Amino acid sequence: MDLPATAPCALVILPHVLREKVGNRASVRVYGHNVREIIAALDHEYPGLGFNLCYETGELRPYVNIFVDREDSRYHQGLDTPVRDGATIHILQSVAGG
Amino acid sequence: MSNSTTFAPGTVLVLVGTKRGLFLLSSRDRARWEVNATGLSGSRIFYATLDQRSGHRMFAADNGDFFGSFLRYSDDFGQTWYEPEQGIQFPEGGDLKLVNIWVVEPGRASEPGTLYAGVDPATLWVSNDNGVHWSLNESLANHPTRDRWGPGAGGLCLHTIVVDPTNAQRMWVGISSVGCMRTDDGGQSWVFLNKNVRASFQPDIYPEFGQCLHRMLQHPTQPDVLYQQNHCGIYKSVNAGDDWIDIQHNLPSEFGFPIAIDAHNPDTVFVIVENSARNNVSEQFNVYRTQDGGEQWQPLTEGLPAGPGVRLGVLRHGMCTDTLDPCGVYVGTNTGQVFASADRGDSWHLIADFLPSVYSVKAVMVE
Repeated sequence: MDLPATAPCALVILPHVLREKVGNRASVRVYGHNVREIIAALDHEYPGLGFNLCYETGELRPYVNIFVDREDSRYHQGLDTPVRDGATIHILQSVAGG
Repeated sequence: MSNSTTFAPGTVLVLVGTKRGLFLLSSRDRARWEVNATGLSGSRIFYATLDQRSGHRMFAADNGDFFGSFLRYSDDFGQTWYEPEQGIQFPEGGDLKLVNIWVVEPGRASEPGTLYAGVDPATLWVSNDNGVHWSLNESLANHPTRDRWGPGAGGLCLHTIVVDPTNAQRMWVGISSVGCMRTDDGGQSWVFLNKNVRASFQPDIYPEFGQCLHRMLQHPTQPDVLYQQNHCGIYKSVNAGDDWIDIQHNLPSEFGFPIAIDAHNPDTVFVIVENSARNNVSEQFNVYRTQDGGEQWQPLTEGLPAGPGVRLGVLRHGMCTDTLDPCGVYVGTNTGQVFASADRGDSWHLIADFLPSVYSVKAVMVE
């Protein structure tokens, strides 16, 4: 995946159910300017992970929440929420279901 | 409950897909049953089946609440599960997104390795390598009427696949709120087969399409004979679906979801009809049986619950038969019970309780 060398690097912390897809690690580092690019980078490094997070049509799955430095991206710019260098990104499943 | 990893040949296995996981009910004599957990413990399992054409590969339609739907497979009776290398997934950036996987069926004996899956949005998927790679049937996905297809209450789901074992070019699919479709050229084109089937919720109650087919099956020895349970009635076709005959007759309701057939007595068909609340019509929970191809129906009650508090619903994949003689019949309810009969429905026993809401039952004999 081609990103400028100046692309921000973020620490992405994954929910337990997805850690098997990244070699059973709790977190990984990837590069991207915004949430959309971070997801693309995750999918590039760990094929299939993008499908866990987004529909094929591109939107984030409804019960997947992505927090950038503890702020819910849904209340910022969604997938276009910018990511700073050194950011911490939490991917969490909603408290939902039944 | 146990976690067996193998089952001896001759074991009757009932794969029970539920709201929270896949369970296997096993028995050597259809009298004593064991409930087995699997490695799929938290997901919505809409449907599961065991393909024994080469080995014992189990498939499960795993519709996770959070991170997507996958048609997983297992080679150790459900303990370890794998995702396909190329799963059921629409092209990125397009107009379609996978909502749920509804059904998976092995192909013909003459095409080992081929399987078919139906999903929401209503499309047909095919694998030719035992479920490792899946591809979309383009002609159904791009049917010229597709922009006029509307969803049923459960979604725009392709929930029934009937593969004609006698004709490699022919198969049928059932789609909620669209109806029955057939291909006669191996999936290159599809036609609607809804003649004489009511769509009472529409201004024109006999449209070309838009009927809500709930479940459909094929006669095991007469390949042109089909039965369907519809939102608006129970029907039989004797000409491969070209037209349909109303066989509701003395049933107390036209509405129900599942339908099953006795493979050794193919004029014997089972249905479960419901009231508008989508549970048993009276205080007696019934399975209904015809033994004359739909001319008359009798209620089956022995061993099935009754009372003012009995409110059981059975979904479209919630009833099946096995291939033994006399045939076994299995019913899973939306309240977590599984009832079984080993004598063609004459008598019933509760073989599992306290399960999550049952979505599907599929009986196989381990080979």
